[in-house]
Amino acid sequence: MKKNKKQNLMLVVFVLPAFIVYAVFKLWPSIIGLYYGMTNWNGLKKTFDFVGLANYVEVFEDTYFLDSLWFTLKYVVVMVLVANLIALALAVLIESRRRSKGLLRTVFYMPNMISMVIGGYMWMFIFTQVLYYIADNTKLNFLDQSWIGDPNYAFIAIIIVSAWGAVGYLMIIYMAAIQGVPKSLTEAAYLDGANKYKTFIKVTLPMIMHAVTICIFWTLNASFQVFDVIYTLTGGGPGRATQSAAINIYEEAFRGNMRFGYATAKSTLLFLLVLIITLIQLAVMKSKEQEL
Amino acid sequence: MRKKNNIPNLMVNLFLIIAAVFCLMPLLLALLNSFKTKGELLTNVLSFPEKILFQNYIDTFEKMNYLSSLKNNVIIVVVGVSLIVLFSSMAGWKLSRTKTRFSKVLFALFVFSMLIPFSSIMIPLYRVVMNLGIKNSLWGLGVIYSGMGVSMAIFLYHGFVKSIPKELEEAAEIDGCNQFQLYFRIIFPMLKPVTVTICITNVLWIWNDFLLPLVVLSKRDKYTLLLSTNMLFGQYSNDWTAILSALVLAAIPVIIFYAIFQKNILRGISDGAMKG
Repeated sequence: MKKNKKQNLMLVVFVLPAFIVYAVFKLWPSIIGLYYGMTNWNGLKKTFDFVGLANYVEVFEDTYFLDSLWFTLKYVVVMVLVANLIALALAVLIESRRRSKGLLRTVFYMPNMISMVIGGYMWMFIFTQVLYYIADNTKLNFLDQSWIGDPNYAFIAIIIVSAWGAVGYLMIIYMAAIQGVPKSLTEAAYLDGANKYKTFIKVTLPMIMHAVTICIFWTLNASFQVFDVIYTLTGGGPGRATQSAAINIYEEAFRGNMRFGYATAKSTLLFLLVLIITLIQLAVMKSKEQEL
Repeated sequence: MRKKNNIPNLMVNLFLIIAAVFCLMPLLLALLNSFKTKGELLTNVLSFPEKILFQNYIDTFEKMNYLSSLKNNVIIVVVGVSLIVLFSSMAGWKLSRTKTRFSKVLFALFVFSMLIPFSSIMIPLYRVVMNLGIKNSLWGLGVIYSGMGVSMAIFLYHGFVKSIPKELEEAAEIDGCNQFQLYFRIIFPMLKPVTVTICITNVLWIWNDFLLPLVVLSKRDKYTLLLSTNMLFGQYSNDWTAILSALVLAAIPVIIFYAIFQKNILRGISDGAMKG
């Protein structure tokens, strides 16, 4: 007992600095947010009142927010599929190269280093200037679209830029996983007459399922919070057609009406949604991993 | 299998080259056009500049307060990352070595919040910032990052400490080392591999973060590189020569960082992700 007490005391001394910053800037805001979500706090007034669940009731009638959630869901699904498929394909192909492997890895990871704010504006240049130029001067007329101004093309543009920024990160994780697959296994499969495609599906893929789980988890989490790309590329427009949930919350709080309480309620809902979906994903993938 | 199939092989190479060009295209096009005059840019966005024109860079350097923005970024990152490393290594070590129920509860409390996304705490955090009077404070922003970053770092340190033999600590204690000497002289140096990973991932995260500075910093002289770039885009939205040179300038520090620490970065990414 005494030893435990002394140990705990030392523990407190060493944990305290981390705990203070953590409590003030992460734990407290998370907890108090639950309360703010039930108030009519807005940025312009000093005082505010408790309004119970009124904000949550309002959220379900807020078509702008519901649309932004729907947009976010579409974005998440497409990103999880597109970014992971491309990353996995690149990882497999690059792993099969011998001399150019290091260089290719360096190149493909590059976009990940650059903030999506910078990347977003660079792509904006391509979508608004370069593609028009190419369409005007070549036969590639299909490039002449309103990439930022038309909701459908804007969605494609956002996906292109997001995938461009995310694929390198996922690819590095897939490559590390592929390197962990014992060579003897794939060679045994070749000897048994399996072709490359079959070997990948039957041998390599099951062996790297843990990486697939991690990558999908990461893409889910990052995509649900998408902000930078959309903020720079379309600003949520045209109109509100490409507004993600995070953009909607930001605008509710820091632009226009500054309804902090209401915006907090929305952000709590977003958190719960992401939590439920990621927990389901992890449970499903974990059971799949064990099956294999 | 290493014979004949030259054609698929060639296809793969071709595909990878095209993909690599696609990957670098935004950077290359920005670089190429940032040296042009406005007129030149309007006539042809794909040509090489007639002559390398540095005027855009000189102008943008002033317009976006480059040095001041860069300095602000450095302050935030240095404060944030130093605190994360110091606080988390201390906490992670003790949490891992103390086998009491209290210790387990504390650890769980740190780890559970890794699931809470930033956008969900953004508004309550804004109120904390206002109440503490640290709006527009670069140091304050660094401390905020430490609060948000310690969870992940403690998690990594906690796991790493398990791989260090305990005997060393016991021997040092018998030699009369107190806990702080033990931590600074023996433990912290041994944590170096994971400290490198934590430094790199956190430098990149804080350097490239946009939303938190957007919320916390509103004075122009406190702007980070990204905020200045964003502001410049708002002001000169039709002047692509100014914007592109700003984008290149804003990207240069990270590219240099990548060039120097490339190996560590790529290893840190896969290590960090596999454990996290």
